[in-house]
Amino acid sequence: MFSLPTLDGYVNEEIRHLETARRRHDPALIHRANQFPTTISPSPALLERGPGGEAAPPISFTLPHELEASGPPERRGLRRDQVRLMLLNRRSGATLHTRFDRIGELLQPGDLLVFNDSRTLPALLPGTFGDGTPIEVRLARQLDANTWDALLLPHGGEHAGKRIAFRAGLHADVSERRPDVPWLWRLRFDAAGAELLDRVYRAGEPVRYTYVPQILPIEDYQTVYAAEPGSVEMPSAGRPFTWELLLALRRRGVQTAFITLHTGLSSVRDDALDALRLGHEEHYRIGPAAAAGVNEARAHGRRVIAVGTTVVRTLETVADAGGRVHAAAGTTGLYISAAHKLRAVDGLLTGLHEPRASHLDLLSAFVSPALLGPAYRQALAAGYLWHEFGDVNLIV
Amino acid sequence: MTEKTNRDGDLHGRVALITGASRGLGAALALELAKAGMKLVLASREGSRAELERVAEQARALGAETLAVSADVADRADVERLAAEALGRFGRVDLLVNNASTLGPLPLPLLLDTPVEGFRAALETNLFGPFLLTRALAGQMLARDAGLIINVTSDAAAVGYPHWGAYGVSKAALDQLTRVWAAELEGTGVGIAAIDPGSMNTVMHRDAEPDENPEEWADPAAIAPALALLARADPRRVNGRRFEAQDRAALAELRELAASGVQTETSHV
Repeated sequence: MFSLPTLDGYVNEEIRHLETARRRHDPALIHRANQFPTTISPSPALLERGPGGEAAPPISFTLPHELEASGPPERRGLRRDQVRLMLLNRRSGATLHTRFDRIGELLQPGDLLVFNDSRTLPALLPGTFGDGTPIEVRLARQLDANTWDALLLPHGGEHAGKRIAFRAGLHADVSERRPDVPWLWRLRFDAAGAELLDRVYRAGEPVRYTYVPQILPIEDYQTVYAAEPGSVEMPSAGRPFTWELLLALRRRGVQTAFITLHTGLSSVRDDALDALRLGHEEHYRIGPAAAAGVNEARAHGRRVIAVGTTVVRTLETVADAGGRVHAAAGTTGLYISAAHKLRAVDGLLTGLHEPRASHLDLLSAFVSPALLGPAYRQALAAGYLWHEFGDVNLIV
Repeated sequence: MTEKTNRDGDLHGRVALITGASRGLGAALALELAKAGMKLVLASREGSRAELERVAEQARALGAETLAVSADVADRADVERLAAEALGRFGRVDLLVNNASTLGPLPLPLLLDTPVEGFRAALETNLFGPFLLTRALAGQMLARDAGLIINVTSDAAAVGYPHWGAYGVSKAALDQLTRVWAAELEGTGVGIAAIDPGSMNTVMHRDAEPDENPEEWADPAAIAPALALLARADPRRVNGRRFEAQDRAALAELRELAASGVQTETSHV
């Protein structure tokens, strides 16, 4: 593990020097970095889409199991804001390793942090068909007051016309499946609006993947500023923020703004379909105050830093050609990769992403894969933790 | 970016969440805030659903949009569900009134004779409840840099009345929760304040003192306006304060605070 570098008087231009010094004084680090079976594929050619419509990932590596965060830092004896933070300079590729609660030393007065305030639903609903067969439902996207697209697990079988019973007396009728993503089915619930939300909270649990062994309380999946519920997976980049940190940042002149994007499922548990990134239309809303905040920051040459890839997608969706953003609400399927020229966002705070994650493609809109690869190799070597409860990366 | 907030103390169109809203002070406050044009999230435990629905109906008759939620504030999962339902329906909560209270075991025993579970139940409802719900809702208030939390307290928090042990201890701790939270919120547009309604003719008080004449106690409908005055105040001016609703000077101050509303603008987007 690294010791924390001293950041007093730190300015962006010094990253390279600090990084060089740190490398020079820590040969063990470089040694450890070489122990991981990491391959870097920085060639831009690899970003081009393959014949199947898939894009090759900008970098590839094998994520060791011990680097998968299995639960919140608060359950590892840390505060939520004591996860690790890797700073990556978009242009130079220089990195700096610190702790998240010192992020203020990497921000400047006037910087605008834009957060996604969507609250996470307990979107995994264990249920049974009429014949008693168990089925796991993962809500994917809300279509109207009582209708959702949902993933039915395990895969396979014809479910159209079946009825599913859940806890808390909730039921749903399965109708057609999506033609493009056949594992997603349309479910019509026997409750709508506030009543459906009430039942979902009573019947559901958080969506989780195998690296999280325990069912955790849904509050563990909320940011400290979470407002309207609607995400089926936590908008996790903002999870490390505490109010102590946010209030301290505000006192130092860092600005804050909030948008809402209700996240869909990151995976339909089918690698080939996940790679196609289908079914990722998500509901978003940006109000006049947040839009004005972004426009004002950009007009004054101040940095707009998205907290999470969902914020990037929202702001880039509502940005016009001149980079001005507008208050709006709608659905976005915007896919961002190296080919996308960012119009409204200057920086990104995000978690560490799996090699195949489409988020890595989004990252390549901020930083060239040739620079991202070495940074990820450092994070692997330094034992950063991946996934929604893990460590984070500030790319500016 | 500046955003105008509650400049004139006008509650119209703003969202209040009241716990313990099925009867007593909570129900009276619901109707008072309905008259002021607030949107209401009314919460009470599952067992009082019918009464809660009746209060919601009366509030709707006064023109309020309402959402009735059955939830036990002592239960962390219920609190998260309550907060989510409130924010799902109205998008925001501007005013949180932590009113739900329990006496603990009845008839009120000496502390020496109080069952462990009864003591725990009083603390969970009267102390944990406000902690959990404030924690769940203060964040979205701080995001807008505006909002007010009112904790309903009691003189049993300040005086060591025999027989009122579990309740008094829980309310004393609630007062301390208010003070610490207020210190942490200082400098923001969000405030937290406590109000002691004084003796009221409620089911709870009749349960506590069955031998007294409840006619001598105030009607909750006569006390609710004092809480509505506090709701109109600038959160910054009442942050950390504790008011006594039946005290003449306190009422005069609340009227002044309500009339002046919010004095400054916030600078967050």
